[in-house]
Amino acid sequence: MEEKKDRRRALITKIVFIIAMLVLWEILAKAHIFGKRSELVFPPLEAIGAAFVKNFSTGFAGTSLWLYILNSMLLLLEGLVIGIVIAFIFSGLSMVSKTIDTIFNLCVSIFDLLPGVALLPVVIVIFGVKPGVIVFLVVHAVLWPMARNVLDGFKSVPEIYVESGRNLGMNSVQMLTGIYVPASATYIISGLKVGWARAWRGLLSAEMIFGIASMPGIGMYINQMRTNMKNAEMYATLIVIIIIGLVVQYGILEPIERATVKKWGLMK
Amino acid sequence: MSETVLEVRHLSKSFLNSGGKETNEVLNDLSLTVEKNEFLCILGPSGCGKTTMLRCVAGFETYEGEILTEHGVTHGPGTDRIMVFQDFNQLFPWKTVEKNIQYALKLQGIRDKAVLKKKSDEALHKVKLDGYQNYYPYQLSGGMKQRVAIAKAFALKPGIILMDEPFAALDAMTRNRLQRKLLELHSQEGCTILFITHNILEAIALGTRVIVLQNGGRIVVDERNPIPRPVTPDSPGYGAFWTKLHDALYVE
Ligand SMILES: Nc1ncnc2c1ncn2[C@@H]1O[C@H](COP(=O)(O)OP(=O)(O)OP(=O)(O)O)[C@@H](O)[C@H]1O
Ligand SMILES: [Mg+2]
Repeated sequence: MEEKKDRRRALITKIVFIIAMLVLWEILAKAHIFGKRSELVFPPLEAIGAAFVKNFSTGFAGTSLWLYILNSMLLLLEGLVIGIVIAFIFSGLSMVSKTIDTIFNLCVSIFDLLPGVALLPVVIVIFGVKPGVIVFLVVHAVLWPMARNVLDGFKSVPEIYVESGRNLGMNSVQMLTGIYVPASATYIISGLKVGWARAWRGLLSAEMIFGIASMPGIGMYINQMRTNMKNAEMYATLIVIIIIGLVVQYGILEPIERATVKKWGLMK
Repeated sequence: MSETVLEVRHLSKSFLNSGGKETNEVLNDLSLTVEKNEFLCILGPSGCGKTTMLRCVAGFETYEGEILTEHGVTHGPGTDRIMVFQDFNQLFPWKTVEKNIQYALKLQGIRDKAVLKKKSDEALHKVKLDGYQNYYPYQLSGGMKQRVAIAKAFALKPGIILMDEPFAALDAMTRNRLQRKLLELHSQEGCTILFITHNILEAIALGTRVIVLQNGGRIVVDERNPIPRPVTPDSPGYGAFWTKLHDALYVE
């Protein structure tokens, strides 16, 4: 009962705060406090709203924002899948071989410290300005935090599950998929969260630094709006980015959490 | 007339001390033979090596000597020797109660869903947990989790069930109920049980045979339980047997 009340109060607080910020924005927009530049810094809400619709209907140079989003998402998905698969393969091998464990841990420690964007010059020399660059950056962003978490998760699996598994005659593949992965679900999910956040940021940065003509993405769209002084459209795109973040958080990550660790009582 | 299902031959086990150099000999040349359908209770002071012995039999440890079952010399764990741990958290928390049992059965090659369902339902019925099929382990009490673990062990129909103080952390009432349940299962299902306990009364109530270990895994008492089931404190011979075990246990 109390809990429900608290949650309602928090919700009301959030809504009131957001409305207040929007009103403030509109007042600043109408007051033209930046003179001529005001249109760029604080475009009025109705302009941003109209730009939001226009982004999707006409888009830029005849290409709807949908297509840019689709391109970004395809590259992101490809990179995430590759990164996660590699993380699992090497974490699994690390459980079997002490040598692989040492080397892989060293790699994780070193490469985790390198922001992907810093690698861009090298990567462009290798791949050229191709979609492969973005995929590479996404893999780099997700692989190391994911591997760190999977490794830690595997190592913290309670001995009693491993012994139960051995007692039931499970082979190493069955142990990996049937015990190590579910038993370290909490770690894996937190790796997913960190990996996703880094990949998403890395993708946007890379796309803003250089657009790939054959596969233009959201970051490039923002950049095009900026160079064309279409700031209302730019703000509208930022809102799209926030919405995508929310969709991933509440539409993918939280349902995964609810269907696994929360359901199993491993996490409240 | 009786048939040997487990033979421990000259079992010795040492652990490396934390320094890594010296070794700490926990079991020294322990030999033991267990007959089919025996309910062997193992008493002994804390630290005398009861758990270590059971873990060697289960195949979780390396050791010197030989351990034989009906299938010959054992190498590592096997489904002919199923362990019920003292720890309540031995069920897989990511599987429901019935899936925990069915998963174990599936690993034995049973594929038919209907058969699996029937077997897990029967197993749960035997420990009076009908209706809890779809609960996750975290939703059960400690006693209920132990019942599921026992139901799972019996469902696998192993030759030998190994139990390491499975009821030690339970309240007296629940423990009593589970003891009766276990006796019932033992007489119905026909299987061999090795059961570690600290509790003399528990050993007398459950065991068809009781052994007392002292340090180094030395067997100081090895007796057939003279008291017919069901054992009550009024059963003839109860006091004498209790005294014998008690004296052997608290000798030092
Ligand atoms: N993994 C291990 N590494 C090192 N020493 C161990 C290990 N496991 C057990 N020992 C040692 O072996 C001895 C016997 O332990 P064990 O757990 O078999 O005793 P126990 O008879 O089961 O005692 P309790 O009744 O308290 O459970 C103890 O001295 C303990 O310190
Ligand atoms: Mg013990």
